[in-house]
Amino acid sequence: MFSTLGAPRPARREHKAKEVPMDESRRSFLARVAGTGAIVALADPPLVFAQAPAPAAPEPVIPGTVSNADVLKGKDMSVFKVHSERPLTGSVPAEAHDFDVTPTERMFIRNNLLTPDIDAAQHKLTIKGLVDKELTLSVDELKRTFKAVTLQAMLECAGSGRTGFQPTPRGTPWSPTGGMGCPKWTGVRLADVLRAAGVKANAVHVAGQGADFGAVPTLAPVIRSIPMSKAMEENTLIAWDMNGAPLPKVHGYPIRLLVPGWAGSASTKWLHTLTVLDAPFKGTYMDDSYRIPRYPVAPGERMPKDAVSTEAWPVKSMITAPAPNAKFRVGEPILVRGKAWVGDGAIERVEVSLDEGVTWQAAQLDPRGDKYAWRGFRFLHRPQRPGYQTFLARAWDDKGNAQPLVSPWNPLGYFWNGVHRVGVTVEA
Amino acid sequence: MRAVGILTAVAALAALATAAEARELTSGPGAGLTTARCAICHDLEHILRSRLSRGEWEDVLANMRQRGMPPLADSEQRVILDYLAAYYGRDPAPAPAPDTHAAGGADPVAKMLDANACNGCHTVDRKLVGPAFRDIAAKYAADAGAAARLAAKIRSGGAGAWGDVPMPPNPKLSEADALSLARWVLDRKP
Repeated sequence: MFSTLGAPRPARREHKAKEVPMDESRRSFLARVAGTGAIVALADPPLVFAQAPAPAAPEPVIPGTVSNADVLKGKDMSVFKVHSERPLTGSVPAEAHDFDVTPTERMFIRNNLLTPDIDAAQHKLTIKGLVDKELTLSVDELKRTFKAVTLQAMLECAGSGRTGFQPTPRGTPWSPTGGMGCPKWTGVRLADVLRAAGVKANAVHVAGQGADFGAVPTLAPVIRSIPMSKAMEENTLIAWDMNGAPLPKVHGYPIRLLVPGWAGSASTKWLHTLTVLDAPFKGTYMDDSYRIPRYPVAPGERMPKDAVSTEAWPVKSMITAPAPNAKFRVGEPILVRGKAWVGDGAIERVEVSLDEGVTWQAAQLDPRGDKYAWRGFRFLHRPQRPGYQTFLARAWDDKGNAQPLVSPWNPLGYFWNGVHRVGVTVEA
Repeated sequence: MRAVGILTAVAALAALATAAEARELTSGPGAGLTTARCAICHDLEHILRSRLSRGEWEDVLANMRQRGMPPLADSEQRVILDYLAAYYGRDPAPAPAPDTHAAGGADPVAKMLDANACNGCHTVDRKLVGPAFRDIAAKYAADAGAAARLAAKIRSGGAGAWGDVPMPPNPKLSEADALSLARWVLDRKP
């Protein structure tokens, strides 16, 4: 690096009511970026050809973003595994999830672009499109105007568990139980905010857009839309707190959508614009990514033309204790613990198998919690013989759906919910 | 506890950075171009861990275009697709081979610009993602030490001198080649 910009930092990172290119035309996106003087400096700033100071971090950090090093200071690196640095993704394994509420230091990270560094005092949320009255609210106004609610709810990346598929589809290599968490969220109901703006009768979807941006100005903004029925549901929030503290920057500070139970990409981080639409949003994050075939396809096949957008997660569970390869003695009680959840409905029962799925026994369920929170289960086993002992867990929902042993393969590797299996050693 | 966490994080990042440097795409025709193009936006792990059919790689490239990757010429796209399908396909990969697309030729500078995808972001007389070569030459016309520093920067990458867009590093380019490229760029004075 020869020099730093002598000119004042461009105003790219102000999040006032900016025009959002909902047609996602590259030209308008470029115009928006260029118009704010941002990533591409149109006018040459005065440059000084000088020796650069020694870099403080090993990674080049783009102004207006948070470095991965800073993001990961908020994670428990004794258990947190980074899957990729650009974009930043990471998670903890099942045995590090043995908590009723996912600690913030263990919540998974899935960025599509960079982590923006946002000034909450300047941040604005605009609600536009098919509304009676377009609204622009500061974060304080949002908190003051609407009733705050706190709830525990699942957030899980659509690709969570991808490495369970054979052959492995492309994308972040989430372990079979990585890429999800169940913290407590505080925010306002999206429905209350939409009602304040007045949703028109022909509204079908609402799209969330975040303030994240990528390394080059040509990159498309991350925009996902959800049906009005899900948007108006009482558990869908515009959240600002996670586990009683402001959202960490990488998790969407100062505000994000929380669309519980659904593929995580619906829960737009760094939310700055909601657009009410008369159809699902058209854009690469709706039409090329986060899609799943209507019917199973043979492993290795390409995405069918009539694929659909990922929505609610199917029923799923994981064993959080004992840890894989833990050691026990014959006769010593082994308490198998885990979590079960479903994106639409409720957990009805969980079964455990001690014989690789030949027979199943009922596990004890913890009391039902918030609608979209995972539900704990436990199963006591006292081994009578030495050797390798496996535990399989299978959850059932209230519609009679159960986890399969192997989930249907799909080209982007979404919605892995195959039965989780943990093996331990029993010594004589 | 938190302090320990931070130290662990720093150590982990340092390890990651080292690991990332150590991991390069298998040498083969098009490896350099593929590295240069793809590493602008994401780390190479996304390729290194993948084993996909040619059709799936085609879909990946289509998806990257939709996501807004800087435009590829058809010829570049063919080279990249051939390379990925051969070396990161579902069938066993061929033995590592010289990157013929990075080897010399009638015009060594043009070959180097092609092979390292410099021209994805730069042209001689027009600003694209990065500055025009002509503007770089003009800026540093009076600076005797410019060539050496520019050569170092071509290899190390960085951000800040011409805006916020970082330039990806080109560690595979030899110091001598980087120096000839730097001298060539500094000769593009208007």
